[in-house]
Amino acid sequence: MSYAAKFSLSLGRLAAAVFLSVVFTTFILLVSGAPPLHTFAILFGGGIGSAAKLFQTIAVWIPLVLCSSALLLTFAPGLWNIGIEGQIILGAIFATGFLRPFPAGASPLVLAGALIAGMIGGALWAYIAAVLRTWGRVHEIFGGLGLNFVALGLTLWLIFGPWRRPGVASMSGTEPLHPSLWLKGFKGFSLSPVSLVLALLAIFLVIYLLRSTRWGLSLKAVGQNPGAALLFGLKPNKRILEAMALCGALAGLAGALQVVGVYHRLLPAISSNYGYTALLVTMLASFRPNLIPPICFFFAVLNVGSIQLPLQLKLDSSLSGVIQGVLVLSVFLVHGLEERWQLLRRKK
Amino acid sequence: MRVEFQDIHKNYGRVRANVGINLVLEPGRIYGLLGENGAGKSTLMKTLAGHTQPSRGRVLFNGKDPEGLNPSRALAMGVGMLYQDPRDFPALEVWENFRLGGRQRDKKRTLSRLQELGARFHFRLSPEEKVSELTVGERQQLELLRLLDLGVKVLILDEPTTGISVTQKEMLFATIRQLARDRGRTIIFVSHKLTEVEELCQEVVVLRQGRLLAQLQSPFQSEDLLKFMFGAEHDGTAESSERSQPGKGEFVQLEDVQLLGDKYTLPDISLQIRPGEILGLAGLEGSGQELLLRGLAGLARVLKGRLVFDGEELQGRPYLKFRQAGIHFLPAARLEQGLFPDLSLNEHFHLAFPPQNGGRDNLLPEEGIKEFSIQGQLSTTARALSGGNQQRLLLALIPAQTRLLLLEHPTRGLDHGAGQQVWSHLLRRCRQSAALLFSSADLDEIKAHSHRVLIFYNRQLVADRPNHAISVEEMGRLMAGQGRAV
Repeated sequence: MSYAAKFSLSLGRLAAAVFLSVVFTTFILLVSGAPPLHTFAILFGGGIGSAAKLFQTIAVWIPLVLCSSALLLTFAPGLWNIGIEGQIILGAIFATGFLRPFPAGASPLVLAGALIAGMIGGALWAYIAAVLRTWGRVHEIFGGLGLNFVALGLTLWLIFGPWRRPGVASMSGTEPLHPSLWLKGFKGFSLSPVSLVLALLAIFLVIYLLRSTRWGLSLKAVGQNPGAALLFGLKPNKRILEAMALCGALAGLAGALQVVGVYHRLLPAISSNYGYTALLVTMLASFRPNLIPPICFFFAVLNVGSIQLPLQLKLDSSLSGVIQGVLVLSVFLVHGLEERWQLLRRKK
Repeated sequence: MRVEFQDIHKNYGRVRANVGINLVLEPGRIYGLLGENGAGKSTLMKTLAGHTQPSRGRVLFNGKDPEGLNPSRALAMGVGMLYQDPRDFPALEVWENFRLGGRQRDKKRTLSRLQELGARFHFRLSPEEKVSELTVGERQQLELLRLLDLGVKVLILDEPTTGISVTQKEMLFATIRQLARDRGRTIIFVSHKLTEVEELCQEVVVLRQGRLLAQLQSPFQSEDLLKFMFGAEHDGTAESSERSQPGKGEFVQLEDVQLLGDKYTLPDISLQIRPGEILGLAGLEGSGQELLLRGLAGLARVLKGRLVFDGEELQGRPYLKFRQAGIHFLPAARLEQGLFPDLSLNEHFHLAFPPQNGGRDNLLPEEGIKEFSIQGQLSTTARALSGGNQQRLLLALIPAQTRLLLLEHPTRGLDHGAGQQVWSHLLRRCRQSAALLFSSADLDEIKAHSHRVLIFYNRQLVADRPNHAISVEEMGRLMAGQGRAV
């Protein structure tokens, strides 16, 4: 099948899945007594209704793109890096830790250092999961899940322990950073051009690595058949460690950017579950890089729009999560139905 | 049961897999179904077993047409198929798998039934072992016992002798004869091994390019069968005359090497191999030959002893060191262990031949596809290739500087023509002074191509003989643990 045909097939699947999930969501809304059309209008209008909202949406889009493209690297060798959530958190922790010696502010160079520290933190956390997988024979899903809880525990301990705000240790996080250590936003907005550029760089880097390098090809080979990869001398274990570390670095960068660009401090919920959302995005994109940015945008719109739901309709904002989850299930369902249909057709 | 195929046509897209096949199979007889890969044997048998519906035509069972035949209905009517790749459940224990689909029995009864059936064929299956721990041959045995327990009236055997010993084969053949005679079963023996078909079958059906070309009664003339299978231009002589002379000097030496594998250890192997030498490894599956090949490839741990390759001690070194030294291993399961199913031919070449080190000596993808006559394009995936083409791809991916080739079942599942192509390539490499160790379940293949024969029994090397000093019959006896050897 040609590339264009494959691409339009994925798009067609996506359209079918969107349709299915709209039907399902409408059903849920009707059951809970909310007006469906109005709710959808709020959901989408809330994410792109004005310049401010659009910028807010893009601010969500950035960590999603970073994490989703990072996950392409681990899906290529067949890894389920569910630990990406913890890798974001460790990025945030390392960045915060790096900036703590500068309560009175410092030069932008220090800010760059914080981003690098975040990447190292995320990479380290991913590397632990990878070593557990390759040497300890712990599946990366279990290792990653365990490390996510450890990362969360670590954050809470830091916020309520050594890094607590003088006098008022609370869920609202650590002492805010000195404003000179905040990533500068576009004029009048908190969205930072640096974050945007970094996210775009990340997705292009991942596309380049997977499409045009022997390293990327080796990753796919490991995913296809680890045994054969060993025979071909592709060092499958080493490739797994590298892919995980690089994925962790990008996730860590996302975490660091949340600290210096969005919240300006370490929060217990610093990851905003973007890691899990990114897993959904990547699956929804059937692991195709070029579908990642639009799907991330769609999810970001839903996330931002859903904030309006409790205010205007007294609906819980978790509806956006429901829609995202239903969407992914719909994609799998469409895929499954398609296979069934092909099988039936072949039998005839 | 009397089975009648009436004008069976089957098209897959534009490929005509079966073209107007008319055939009557009588109860109590053993039929051989011969043909090259792609001749339409599998399609015809899948139709019989209910796995595909013919595009046209029908199958009658005792004169009745069971409309809409599917696998479970076919089985209920008494059609059982023993597949080349066993269709079993790796996660189950042997006795659980045996019980599947059969009569409801408790564990005790299942065990005694399994024991009883197994004893009849002298199959030694431990009932509580996991199916995933069994060799392919053992899994076939289990599946055969299960089918017999289900009381099949039409038994299709797809290459059943792959991976079982000569004695086991004799026993299997005796049982097949008995099953046909006593209970009036119809036996269909799908194979491309002429000798087995000649030995076992009362009647042979030859397919070529989807058509039924000939139906012959025993005794058969080998030349006739070959002519029908491959066309008139084929000559049946093996290429053994082209075998090269081994060079001087022993460039591979094993001194009291003990190997540790996943399932067993192989004790105290001492062996010298000369450049250009070809060693055939014979043994039942799981007898040790697999582990020797993997040990030489650097894929199994050397517990003790010395493994010297070209003056360099390699024991304890990583696999990559073996590979760089010029040792290359090709596993029996090509797609499962040797290739990347969804990667293209082009990507395989790129992975096998890194551009930086010595890539230039090796083939460009386009050249490789042409030189090894792989039926595919640069963008074709490995999964889409036939077995023969997969093997040719693996051969094309062997680096030029390879000096020790280790092949597991190089021609398993390939038809005669494809097998000959594989051998002509291997022999060319050996004339360029690469040494070759290969294992095979086909003793004629070992006899035809080896300078020396190594025989394994019960996870030990029991004989190391020059080719001229051992007959196929003796190999069979040694493999089965009969007779004393060096």
